[in-house]
Amino acid sequence: MLKQLSTHIIQHLLAQNEWAAPMLQPFASKSVQLNFVLLKTSLIILENGSLALAGETNVPDASITIPPSLLLRLMAKDETAKLQIKVDGDTHLATALAKVLSHVRWDYEDDLSKLTGDVSAHKIGEFSRNTASTVKDTAINLAEMLSEYWQEEKPLLAKKRHVEQFNTEVDTLRADVERMEKRLNKLANKLSTTPDPNNPVS
Amino acid sequence: MTTEHNTHFGFKTVAESEKAKKVADVFHSVASKYDLMNDVMSAGMHRGWKRFAVSVSGVDRGDKVLDIAGGSGDLSKLFAQKVGAEGQVILTDINASMLGVGRDRMLDAGLNVPALQCDAERLPFPDNYFDCVIVAFGLRNMTHKDRALAEMQRVLKVGGRLLVLEFSKVWQPLSKAYDVYSFKLLPLMGKLLAKDAESYQYLAESIRMHPDQETLKQMMIDAGLSKVDYYNLSAGVVALHKGYKT
Repeated sequence: MLKQLSTHIIQHLLAQNEWAAPMLQPFASKSVQLNFVLLKTSLIILENGSLALAGETNVPDASITIPPSLLLRLMAKDETAKLQIKVDGDTHLATALAKVLSHVRWDYEDDLSKLTGDVSAHKIGEFSRNTASTVKDTAINLAEMLSEYWQEEKPLLAKKRHVEQFNTEVDTLRADVERMEKRLNKLANKLSTTPDPNNPVS
Repeated sequence: MTTEHNTHFGFKTVAESEKAKKVADVFHSVASKYDLMNDVMSAGMHRGWKRFAVSVSGVDRGDKVLDIAGGSGDLSKLFAQKVGAEGQVILTDINASMLGVGRDRMLDAGLNVPALQCDAERLPFPDNYFDCVIVAFGLRNMTHKDRALAEMQRVLKVGGRLLVLEFSKVWQPLSKAYDVYSFKLLPLMGKLLAKDAESYQYLAESIRMHPDQETLKQMMIDAGLSKVDYYNLSAGVVALHKGYKT
């Protein structure tokens, strides 16, 4: 039941994103295993460029592993986090699939319009987008407010310029220590090559 | 002198030459109420299984599809919508009564799907012709499954897919309950709804005699198909096998 439902949802999303099928079609009959936190599943590319869950005995041609530590960075759209996603096997195939999966968008207004009609669906979509935007702005404001409170009023967090100043001081100290170490070495060498005035034979 | 080989007909052993006739009798008997019984027996799930088979077939507009043992034409109807006017779906069945039901339904639905009575062990089609061949709930009734699978492989194009949707080996913890359902409840429902307990007794027995998931997978590989994989549906009550001609 889960396989049938998942495959139906995936195929519905791909049907809404018509650009995806031509990208996947060259890899027809190949499969990719996705390892993402607790989710471990394999997707197979069909001959019409669509996707389905793979069967019980499928041997994947490639695998994509996303460590849990990358989750928040990926959600924050950190481009450098994408470089840390582990890809094994056929990298062309895995890259094509990852590209499709990361760009697929659910056109919920289109689905809703079949139930409520175009105008209502658009209004509901507009309301949802505005609400989501307001929630996002509120969350950012709240985070900034807490950050400011913990930096200025009750300093639990370090300010950026303080951290930078501290880093500069650490760099200067490290350079000074290195310089001093070189001087000490030089001095030790000089002492070892100078003859001892109390023992001119040695 | 020739020796006659035996095969199974449900739990009975019969001569190979007799099996086709006995299977034909069963389906002549149930044809008119076949879909009603399928709905009752599977609680409507057979429609979901068939839709899933179509969704993993990868069939696209313009493709050629062969529906073997297609009977009442459920799958042909779904595939005809997928391939569109530029594609081709052919409905076949060895049983004239079942095929008649399917042919009439296609006509009533305004679909251009030719219906052809033929034996799956001797398909009247050229080599490398179809993009997809499907047999749903039909393979277990065939006398020589290996010959039938080889024929299906022959008519597929290179890159074409063979899909076999068939009852299979249920998940072990459910097997006891499934046995009670199959051998007690199923013939009773057949008696009440189709006035034919014996035919439904045969259906239950033939399901048990059919190869399990792994055996059928190996049979498909032996028939020349590759990348064979299967899906267990409804805890293995049904399995969908898919293989490619390469």
